[in-house]
Amino acid sequence: MRLADAWALLPELSVQERDLARELRHLESLACWAGSFTSEVLLVPPDALLLEVQGSIRLFGGIEMLLARILDGLAAQGYATNAALAPTPRAALWLAAAGASGKAGEGRGCAGVYGTRIPRCLQATDLRDALALLPLDVLELEAAQRRRLAGFGARCVGDLLRLPRSGLARRLGVEFVSTLAQALGEMPDPRERYRFPDTFRESLELPARVEDAARLLFAAQRLVHVLSGWLAARSSGIVRCELLLEHERGSVTPLELAFAAATRDPERIVRVLRERLERLLLRAPVASLVLVAAAPEPLPGREGGFFGEVAASEGVSLLVERLRARLGEVNVHAIATCPEHRPELASVPVLPGSGSGITVPGPRPCWLLPQPQPLVEIAGRPQRNGPLNLLAGPERIESGWWDAGEENAAGEVRRDYFVAFSRQREWLWIFRDADGWFLHGLFA
Amino acid sequence: MATSPALAEVLSRSDVWRGDSLAQAALPGVPSGFAALDAELPGGGWPRGGLVELLPARQGLGEMSLLMPALARISSAEMSWVVCVAPPLPPYAPAWAAAGIALSRLLITRAVGGDAAWACARALDADGVGALLAWLPEADASTLRRLQLLAEKSRTLIFLFRPAAAIRESSPAPLRIGIGAANQANDCGRVALRLIKRRGGALDTPLEIDLARPVPISHAVAGPPPSATAARSLSATAAA
Repeated sequence: MRLADAWALLPELSVQERDLARELRHLESLACWAGSFTSEVLLVPPDALLLEVQGSIRLFGGIEMLLARILDGLAAQGYATNAALAPTPRAALWLAAAGASGKAGEGRGCAGVYGTRIPRCLQATDLRDALALLPLDVLELEAAQRRRLAGFGARCVGDLLRLPRSGLARRLGVEFVSTLAQALGEMPDPRERYRFPDTFRESLELPARVEDAARLLFAAQRLVHVLSGWLAARSSGIVRCELLLEHERGSVTPLELAFAAATRDPERIVRVLRERLERLLLRAPVASLVLVAAAPEPLPGREGGFFGEVAASEGVSLLVERLRARLGEVNVHAIATCPEHRPELASVPVLPGSGSGITVPGPRPCWLLPQPQPLVEIAGRPQRNGPLNLLAGPERIESGWWDAGEENAAGEVRRDYFVAFSRQREWLWIFRDADGWFLHGLFA
Repeated sequence: MATSPALAEVLSRSDVWRGDSLAQAALPGVPSGFAALDAELPGGGWPRGGLVELLPARQGLGEMSLLMPALARISSAEMSWVVCVAPPLPPYAPAWAAAGIALSRLLITRAVGGDAAWACARALDADGVGALLAWLPEADASTLRRLQLLAEKSRTLIFLFRPAAAIRESSPAPLRIGIGAANQANDCGRVALRLIKRRGGALDTPLEIDLARPVPISHAVAGPPPSATAARSLSATAAA
């Protein structure tokens, strides 16, 4: 139908030019996403994707589970698909095309969740029967070939399969016969598999501008699933990635996501993303999202526990990520001892999980005040709601001449430390230096 | 006293106890390291699966020394994590290491208000967290009730520090302990625990516990300033 005819029939028709480059980008994005299921992904532009799933069937708990996950995932992304399952790529393409036109032959596989909707053929020996029922228009024939076929009364693929091959080759060309042989698995069908890009950058244009950060999560989830597929196909994980919120007129809000350990689990990434987005105040409405990830780290597939358990440390690294995403990285930490005489430098915050401790001779308090607190002295005795009893000491700490006078350095200290006991029964760590008495810690 | 078989069955459940006897805990408690205290706690130690609310009269009485043996056990023997949410002061690594806490499994979170309660809830969700210490001075009854519900579902040991003023408020925590100093002039190194609420009835008399202290109390240097030489040398260096 010409465009003019279409407009004549339906004046309010809105026409969009087909953008093949964009279609290809979508197909590539789907190929990345499909990396979650298999690393053997083949693009068949403009609209087909081949996944080699033989090696993944067991991992996903059977072909039905695998199919259900792939089709659910596609549906969740808003794609209408025609899937087919066959031992050869060409047969799969033909079965899918037949499924699209609603003329698929009865598959011989078991009926599952998607049972009758998906044409399938699981055994190479059944291939001939499965293809026999297909109409000829799935074969992508040239017009001349189609006329000739109609001339000798062939209506379905089965009619062709019954004819001698040498005759077919003479009438329709050698190429056609080898295509047929490839579909039947009699001839190899070499295809170049999709090469996953080295760095990940995937964008998603939002259908409408979004002004509420929390509502971006749904759209971002889609990108996260594509990222997860890309990582799975490369057997790697990320510790860091960045979501760019693109506003109109080119301004961008970057949102960095950090993980305690390399991961490619989409749920885990989404959890961290949710914490970040919930706390984000948008400067301007968001027009599109871009997810960028570089430098993936090798992350081999996790072996299932013997009894289906999850390693304990993994549970804690998830916790660390969630806490850091909401509270900020500086507010979630571990502590480690540092070989340093000055007490305020002997305990340092470190990354969770990397804390380590050496013990120090001499009593050390459980809590150390961030700043020593001056104590009043009366009759030679330090006071805190009454005179303090000194129980042990002095412990002379004299150190730090090397950073004396530097900014933000502890500087040189000359202190005598005592364990003190107050009238209120508090156990305190106090010191005296040239400036007087100070409270430095609590033995709680 | 004769009880019908059905009633006996009900009474043998771990979540049902008779008011006049100590409850049997569903999970064995974590030994506190103090035999006198273990004897008074349902389950023979710090109970898991419920909040343990600690109400120290003020900081520095020994409230952390009271927990350290149990924390060290969880951290080093059980290889679980210890998570501190909103501690009042920065924990000092040498002291925690000396108490036997594996610092590689210690996590400290600074948070305030609702964030602190949220962090507690996340820590209770996580696998591998053996003990949670939280300082929630502002927590209201509904927050505590939510935490108690989460606690019932987890195996984590949870210590909740609240100000002593909260003693008068009601709380959903099944175990509440007030911490004060033993009020005896010659025995001032001990800490007095008031078990204000536990399954099996409150304990009327405070329980006095000897904690590990930095130095024995008998070392008390009463009166005059420590060593005159130390003072002299300090002032000499200051003058130099």
